[in-house]
Amino acid sequence: MENLKIAATERSPEVDFDFEHGALSLRGESYPEDASTVFGPIFSALESFLATVGDREIRIDFDLTYFNSSSAKALMNMFQRLDHAAAAGARIKITWFFAPDDDTMKEFGEDFSEDLEHVAFNLIAIETAA
Amino acid sequence: MADFNLFDAEEKTLEQAEELRHGMADAPAAIRDGLATLIDSYGRSVREQRRLVRVSDRLQAQLATVNHELGKRKAEAEQALDDLKSAQESLVQAEKLASLGALVGGVAHEINTPVGIALSCASHLADATQDIKKLFEADDIGVDDFKRYMATAMDTTSLILSNCERAAQLIRSFKQVAVDRTSSERRDFDLCAYIRETLASLGPHLRQAGHTVSIDCPGGITMTSYPGALSQVLSNFVMNSLVHGFEPGQIGEIRIEVDQVEPDQVRLTYADTGRGIPDQNRGRIFDPFFTTRRGIGGSGLGLHIVYNLVTGPLGGNVSVESPAKGGTAFVVTVPQVTASPTV
Ligand SMILES: Nc1ncnc2c1ncn2[C@@H]1O[C@H](COP(=O)(O)OP(=O)(O)OP(=O)(O)O)[C@@H](O)[C@H]1O
Ligand SMILES: [Mg+2]
Repeated sequence: MENLKIAATERSPEVDFDFEHGALSLRGESYPEDASTVFGPIFSALESFLATVGDREIRIDFDLTYFNSSSAKALMNMFQRLDHAAAAGARIKITWFFAPDDDTMKEFGEDFSEDLEHVAFNLIAIETAA
Repeated sequence: MADFNLFDAEEKTLEQAEELRHGMADAPAAIRDGLATLIDSYGRSVREQRRLVRVSDRLQAQLATVNHELGKRKAEAEQALDDLKSAQESLVQAEKLASLGALVGGVAHEINTPVGIALSCASHLADATQDIKKLFEADDIGVDDFKRYMATAMDTTSLILSNCERAAQLIRSFKQVAVDRTSSERRDFDLCAYIRETLASLGPHLRQAGHTVSIDCPGGITMTSYPGALSQVLSNFVMNSLVHGFEPGQIGEIRIEVDQVEPDQVRLTYADTGRGIPDQNRGRIFDPFFTTRRGIGGSGLGLHIVYNLVTGPLGGNVSVESPAKGGTAFVVTVPQVTASPTV
């Protein structure tokens, strides 16, 4: 299926879903006026992709520096969906990146991972090239 | 895309619960009531979540706008500060040029006097020589003529000499005023030892009149600075005490005290027990050409040189004080390690 690539804007993250290689990533900030314009395309693409994965290996990177509440809710939904897919056999590995001095993003990562049972969840501190 | 719904899962759950309720129409009233209450409060909770997400989205958007604005203002303020700094730099530059102009004008004026005197003496001597030559060639020269010529020659040559010397000395001082940072050597030295050496080299001037010098300097202060500049500053202070401070016949005292008010700063206080500087002159003594001995050896450059050396290469500041007990005191504060020359 076709890859999904959306450039970042001031209020929305860069989306790079390389379905062919099973490498997905979201990077940047997310506080859109309307969550559905940003997460609508992401979810429909992810939905169709997950329907085809079987027991493939999939890597998803989250490298976010700031997001609002509806984005947080959308992320939780996404994690739920991924956890379901993992329960059904897909080998899913989520990596949550945060800047070493950003405790907030680190805690968000920890919170989000609490309800996940089937995906592998990694928290990694990285210096961003600011 | 239009059917994207953040609370999709919750709504599905609600629908399923609703179906469950229908399917349990035959259950005991207590169970049906309980289930209805549960569904109701879950629905309310989901609505509340939606509301909360909306409210906090709005707040976060505001926050982002404010942050953005803040960043813009900060950049603007930084830009303004940069502009201000460069404006200040060009002002300082302009100021330097203006003071250099004033200095050059002053020097020209100062040098004009001795050079003018030397010139008129020289032409007077030339005229007298011409006259005596004529008499000599006419073989008409008398002893009186020769005596008069000799007297003129003695007077004019000594005036020419002293005035040329004066002009040369002025030029030397002027060269010192234009202190060149790179030409003087910056190195490590022991402050107290260096002060003692400098004072010792001035000893002959001091001892003649019997003045006493005391130096109170805590040992072990190593400077990385311009020793030459420092000794020039001290020499100017000492010469001024001798020339302006002490009354003829007075046995004066000079005290030099060094202390460290801050870790990397050195404060040197120079004080004499001379007649002091009158209030109305205190604001002008660092100006070029301010002197109370014009015409009798003062050019008024000494303290100006001091000021330039202290604020320039030595990177500090200098001020004058009038101690209550009389005399004059200069306070020089300089960093222990000066900035390395920026060229
Ligand atoms: N220790 C002192 N006691 C009293 N007056 C002083 C003392 N030091 C400086 N002054 C006053 O400050 C004036 C300026 O001093 P400065 O050294 O600049 O010039 P100067 O000594 O007159 O001339 P120059 O140093 O160029 O030969 C002096 O003419 C004198 O009036
Ligand atoms: Mg002087």
